[in-house]
Amino acid sequence: MFSRFVLDVAYFLNTSKNYQNTKHFFYNLLENDNYRYKKYFDALMIMLVFISVIILIREVKSHVNDFLLYFNSYIISIIFFVEYMLRLWVSSSISEILIKRDEHDSMLGEPFGLRRAFFKILHIKFQYITTPRALIDILAIIPLFHELRFLRIFVLFRVSKLFRYIKSFQTFFSVLASKKFEFFTLLMFASMVIFVSSVLIYVMEANNPKSSINTLYDALYWSVVTISTVGYGDITPITDAGRFVAMVVITAGIAVLAFSTSLVVSAFSEKLDEIKETKTVDDITKLKSFYLICGYEDVAAEVAKSLSKEHKVIILDEDPLRVMRAIKDGFVALEYDPGSVESYKKLRIDIASQVKAILCLRESDVENVYTTLTVRSFNKDVYILSLLMQDIHRNKLSIAGASEILYAKELIGMIAKEFIGKPVAFEVIHALRSDYSQINIEEIVISERILKNFSRVDELDNVKYRVVLLGIYKKIQKQFFFNPIPNTLLEQGDYLLIIGNSVFIKEFEKYLHKKIV
Amino acid sequence: MMKTRSALIFGYNEFALEIADNIAHKYENITIFKFDDESKKRNGEKYSVASFDLSDNWDVLEKKFDMENSVIFCALLDDATNIFLTISLRASFANVSIISLAKDKESANKLTMAGASKVIPIVQTTASIISDMLKKPIVTEVLHNILYEKSNLKIAQVCVEQDTFFAGKHPYEVDWKNIYKIIVLFVLHEDMSSEFIYSSKASHHSIKNGDKLVVVGYEEDIKLFEQNVGSRYE
Repeated sequence: MFSRFVLDVAYFLNTSKNYQNTKHFFYNLLENDNYRYKKYFDALMIMLVFISVIILIREVKSHVNDFLLYFNSYIISIIFFVEYMLRLWVSSSISEILIKRDEHDSMLGEPFGLRRAFFKILHIKFQYITTPRALIDILAIIPLFHELRFLRIFVLFRVSKLFRYIKSFQTFFSVLASKKFEFFTLLMFASMVIFVSSVLIYVMEANNPKSSINTLYDALYWSVVTISTVGYGDITPITDAGRFVAMVVITAGIAVLAFSTSLVVSAFSEKLDEIKETKTVDDITKLKSFYLICGYEDVAAEVAKSLSKEHKVIILDEDPLRVMRAIKDGFVALEYDPGSVESYKKLRIDIASQVKAILCLRESDVENVYTTLTVRSFNKDVYILSLLMQDIHRNKLSIAGASEILYAKELIGMIAKEFIGKPVAFEVIHALRSDYSQINIEEIVISERILKNFSRVDELDNVKYRVVLLGIYKKIQKQFFFNPIPNTLLEQGDYLLIIGNSVFIKEFEKYLHKKIV
Repeated sequence: MMKTRSALIFGYNEFALEIADNIAHKYENITIFKFDDESKKRNGEKYSVASFDLSDNWDVLEKKFDMENSVIFCALLDDATNIFLTISLRASFANVSIISLAKDKESANKLTMAGASKVIPIVQTTASIISDMLKKPIVTEVLHNILYEKSNLKIAQVCVEQDTFFAGKHPYEVDWKNIYKIIVLFVLHEDMSSEFIYSSKASHHSIKNGDKLVVVGYEEDIKLFEQNVGSRYE
């Protein structure tokens, strides 16, 4: 009966949208580094940690306001406790464990084993509780028992909580963790030297009345201070044998220091690329919109240069030399294979909302077809523009799903034709498109605000701004109307094609937006 | 043998063949010149193919082709060879129109210095079309339609040769749109440099006979305009 009730609750929670949304929200807030509000939560917790430490320091020699003590001992501790419980909650799903157990037992035709499910839950939660991070969290709550004065020192565990909130600390420790074995070996060596030298110096010096080493603890203290190359000088050996031991420990100390420094340096240099990559991916994840260029060869380099003036551009290429070139040119580039789904998973981006277009600009049709197919395999709608190197492969790119195909050779052929056949049109259009000429052609989208001010073409007053209205592109008809008749109605989403000096075009655009009827 | 108005294309590659296909209707003869190390044979050979060497004496071309009215395309894939070829041809033919392909802007500058009348930098041109397609898709489509004859819209140069009501007026004062259904964009100077009609220079210029106007409009409207004012040069 009770089992049935527990199962009902589990199924209810598992299917409840509100419950799942709430849990998901707290998961994002506490654990998801890419969640936009997590940084605010982390900042709040860091602030609380610092308040605790400041109060502790102040309390050593001065009187601290009762409210602050209360705030430190109860409010901060309670906040940390709530945070701890929430972390415990989101670390795993109890309802899912119960449901899985029920499904498993049903399949085997056995009654629901609540006891086994209960132990499984305990086991999983215990696993979480014993993780170093969770242990630090629980120790940070201890100052709640402020009456136990000696426990106040536990407030320092709160400082350890900073590791959880500051990502650079996590990176630092994860880098050092990669050299676990080397550090362990070094620790063993240093411990051995400290142990042997402590015993030796004690034996050599303890019976000498002039020596300040009287206990084994003094000997241990001296060993640690010496091997670390700090050498305070408050305790020094005075016998010849003791000095000999000191020389050995000093030599070993230099070796330990050199070894540990080189370990840290090598760990960082080995992980440097990985750290940079993680940082780049994090930055990309936060971008609102960008162009994704697959492959970085000559055409891609020029396109990236042109697009980057107004938009963000991200480059993916599997070739390290090309990636290096892209980075040298000032772009964000990753050594990821654009033809692999895994690359896009690692990027953790939402293609539909973040990517304006994917440009397959490798100078190889095989690569471009492969990349196009890869992208299409998980996104049907994103705009893909691909370079075509040989006309015989055009249909392959179409089948793969490219939205637009650009065949450079055909383009050059057409340009040659126009140059021969229509030099005037060619020069005019070239001048209008060139960034270097002062006269440009721009498109201005009719926004809601423009519509509030103007409803017809003849109201636009472009002559006053010394710009030419070439025509209007009607969004609904999907058609361009050259030299539109004066009473043509403007609609939201239409585009005005304006020719003129770029400064005047900008002024005209401002006027369209600013005018108040 | 009668000399023909020809297009001489140097280079036996896909660029050369695309150029040949696009200009075939304009020239009586198209000859593709194959450099020593270029491929032997291509499928569906439609044009006459001859071989050449950089040490050739180009004067022989004059005997075969009407060089005054011919055009030369230097479409070799190696920029250094293409530059050498351009400079050799310019040394032999001072007035012929030479159009050269360059891989990038650096080579394009060198080709201009070598005497090419027009240089098409392949990488930059392709990249600029791609960027335009993304940044200004509608502008790009409209301009492409005008340039590549996919719509009836045209850009033409019309020379004012008859007395018209707008003689003596400033170009921006005339209501071209409503009277002729065309748009006048530029006024051309004698040195062929152009001035946008709203630029300060053009706004101080009064229209007179002999002025050349760059207009955009539908084919039939431009024809009417041209009948009214003068001659046309597309």
